[in-house]
Amino acid sequence: MANAFITTLPVLARGMDKKSAPFRPHSLLAAAASAALVLGSAPAGAAGVTAGTLIENTAVASYDDGAGARTINSNTVTVRVDELLDVTLTSLDPGPVATGPGEAVLRFELTNQGNGPEAFRLIANPAVAGNDFDVTVTAIAIDRNGNGTYDAGVDELLGAPQLTAELAPDTVLTLFVLVEVPAGATDTQTSAVELVAEAVTGNGAPGTVFAGAGVDGGDAIVGTTEARALARGNLEVGVTAVALTKAVTLRDPFGGTGAVPGTIASFTITATVSGSGSVADLVVTDAIPAGTTYAPGSLALDGTPLTDAADADAGTAAQADGIRVDLGDVAGGSTHAITFDVAID
Amino acid sequence: MNSFAKFAILIAATALGAGAVQAQQPAGPVSLSGDVKAVKIVTAADGSERTELVEPGTIVPGDRLIFGTDYANTGSEIVTDFIVTNPLPAAVRLAPDADPELTVSIDGGKSWGRLAELKVTAPDGTQRAATHEDVTHVRWVLASIAPGAKGRLTYPAIIR
Repeated sequence: MANAFITTLPVLARGMDKKSAPFRPHSLLAAAASAALVLGSAPAGAAGVTAGTLIENTAVASYDDGAGARTINSNTVTVRVDELLDVTLTSLDPGPVATGPGEAVLRFELTNQGNGPEAFRLIANPAVAGNDFDVTVTAIAIDRNGNGTYDAGVDELLGAPQLTAELAPDTVLTLFVLVEVPAGATDTQTSAVELVAEAVTGNGAPGTVFAGAGVDGGDAIVGTTEARALARGNLEVGVTAVALTKAVTLRDPFGGTGAVPGTIASFTITATVSGSGSVADLVVTDAIPAGTTYAPGSLALDGTPLTDAADADAGTAAQADGIRVDLGDVAGGSTHAITFDVAID
Repeated sequence: MNSFAKFAILIAATALGAGAVQAQQPAGPVSLSGDVKAVKIVTAADGSERTELVEPGTIVPGDRLIFGTDYANTGSEIVTDFIVTNPLPAAVRLAPDADPELTVSIDGGKSWGRLAELKVTAPDGTQRAATHEDVTHVRWVLASIAPGAKGRLTYPAIIR
């Protein structure tokens, strides 16, 4: 719509150059129409028309007074759109962030829901009622490279006072709250951190007006969000432990259990992961004992044979390198049994 | 919008007033005067609500404005074929409770009708019923204005 009218502007410009151009009511009408539309044009995002936009209204009348057609314009009335202060903040973590003692990162998303450029003050509060323990907030960072993950040295740490840059309307910012979980935190304990974002211009009850504090000297008015938002990020401690036990059974060539040359020794390594969390990249390795020879093809995980070669399955086995089984991510409360045979030389 | 375009329009407006209209035709017998009011909901002590028209103070998206145009025939002769055309500023949309009989345009003033009669054609040729959001212009048509007669034309709008 607006584009169609912008194309009439060159016509207007030519008319200016030639003030003696013959009066043509139709072109004037179109010119007045285009002026109002173009003047008022402003991007209207989710937050509405941008603060500072001038809304200008002009009516055009044509009539016949008996001596011919006439056209007149009304005066133009102008109102300026003021700045609406609105902000939302949400946690980007789908559930409690699993953590152990030490560093953890909580993710949040801030949106400038107002219609003007606005900076926001960020306040992180780790002392939330109901916490099993309180973390220490190390810093608040802005996701500078926009990948949704905190990258030390890349994402910008905010110094005090913790303020965002001035954000254009509808801007969405990913924020990280970096925390330190105390060493005393134990398995399954939880803690929450509250992050608050407040419009720097001001906040308060919806409708509160900050005269002259908006764009271009207009007013700023607090919207339905109170220009303040609070979101909570949750942490859950998952302390996991891995225990390995190794057992052996002997079967000698005579049907007994003596350790003589030719006896087959069957080893069972049991990996037990305990706790509420999980361990990542759990790899179990064992050497072939001296004086024994690996029995090819005997490696198995939880009763399922694994080939000796390094291939798609989780295990490899060789005389020189011993056995290696990659269990990957293992949740607390699970147990895996790795078995292999050797022959006594 | 860029400042050049704004400048050009200011110049154009000057040219309209000082040059084209007045230089070529004496002032006509009809006067037009525009104004704008904000609609404010006032809650009385007993909890009842009423609306008041006030000077636009602090206005933000979603607020309601009433654009008005007063006309008067100050001459001694009847005028005929009186048509008032009001392009809607781009920053507002026609309010949903605007008079359904109002003559509107959704194509920048090329064609006119009641909103219920108008259709928007998408680039792929499909059509849908026009909505208040689509309105680009409103228009009033009066067959004549008697000498000394006057009136007021208004339309309600909501800031986008």
